[in-house]
Amino acid sequence: MGFDNNEPEQRRRLQAALSGAGITTGTLWLQYFSIGGSVGEYEVEAYLQGMLSLPELERDLLAMAANELSNSGPGPHAPYSDEFPLDAPRETDSTEDGPASP
Amino acid sequence: MTKKQLPLDELSGAIGRILGLLLTEEKVDHAVQNLSQAIKESVPGTIGAGVSILDSQARRTSTGFTDSIVEQADHLQYELGQGPCLTAWASEESVIISDVRTDPRWPEWSAAVSTLPIRSVVSAPLMANGHSIGAIKIYASEPSVFDAAAVSLMDLYASPAATLLAHIQSTETPKRISEGLQLALHSRDLVNRACGILMERHKITHERALQQLILQARNKSQSLQEVSAELVAGIPADRN
Repeated sequence: MGFDNNEPEQRRRLQAALSGAGITTGTLWLQYFSIGGSVGEYEVEAYLQGMLSLPELERDLLAMAANELSNSGPGPHAPYSDEFPLDAPRETDSTEDGPASP
Repeated sequence: MTKKQLPLDELSGAIGRILGLLLTEEKVDHAVQNLSQAIKESVPGTIGAGVSILDSQARRTSTGFTDSIVEQADHLQYELGQGPCLTAWASEESVIISDVRTDPRWPEWSAAVSTLPIRSVVSAPLMANGHSIGAIKIYASEPSVFDAAAVSLMDLYASPAATLLAHIQSTETPKRISEGLQLALHSRDLVNRACGILMERHKITHERALQQLILQARNKSQSLQEVSAELVAGIPADRN
């Protein structure tokens, strides 16, 4: 099983938002947990590393958590899944597109 | 982190660690012990050094010392409720004693340690975030062993040591963890209750309800917690 089309891009931009605002994985997870996120901290870590695929809802909760923590600061914003075109597969970006084959 | 495997303990542990509050007792004792040794070796003439961490009631929560003389002299201070380290801790200023036998400031303690080979003392407060969390001290067996340079050295040691040791104040830590835990659980609970309301109102799944909350929060530029709080409080949300 692979990633959703936009998942790598969404993840990459979440990471950019996190590093832009200096948010650690632990802090992100705590906020995500606080707003109802249901996967554990290790899974979030693995998702950020590109080693695990997460359902759309959990990805959006992570984006929300990151945006709440950065408090609309100057850094990049973490995108939600509906901000991507529905079926525009973008295979163009970045070093890793797929999960470490399961 | 914790021996019991209850989920809540795991959660407190995770939250304590994330909030930067957890160091194991073992690590602390070890650190305090090493610090004492380093201080002893770096101040010439020192026969023993020690570190005490105190809570707000002046009770010791951790101690480290290099020699049993230090242990005894320390113990007497806390037993009598007076002595150079308690003064350093309480006044938040370094204390130097040229000769324990002639210094009039702590008569009971001076009398009590008169049988021990202690004549010179320097004690510096451990200051972290503007609070005094304890003191470090050195003892020498001859009078006038320590001078202003020794005091400066102790002050230099005290500052980074206090910052590190502040993370292990065991009496404060559980309180701070449970505050963080409580906030996280309160928020999560609120969001879930709001989800429940939407699920009932629109006959939708929990997942869809959470998605709707996210959407509302984004549209209103509010936090998920704020949107949930309004919904739970009965403020009419935009029905959609």
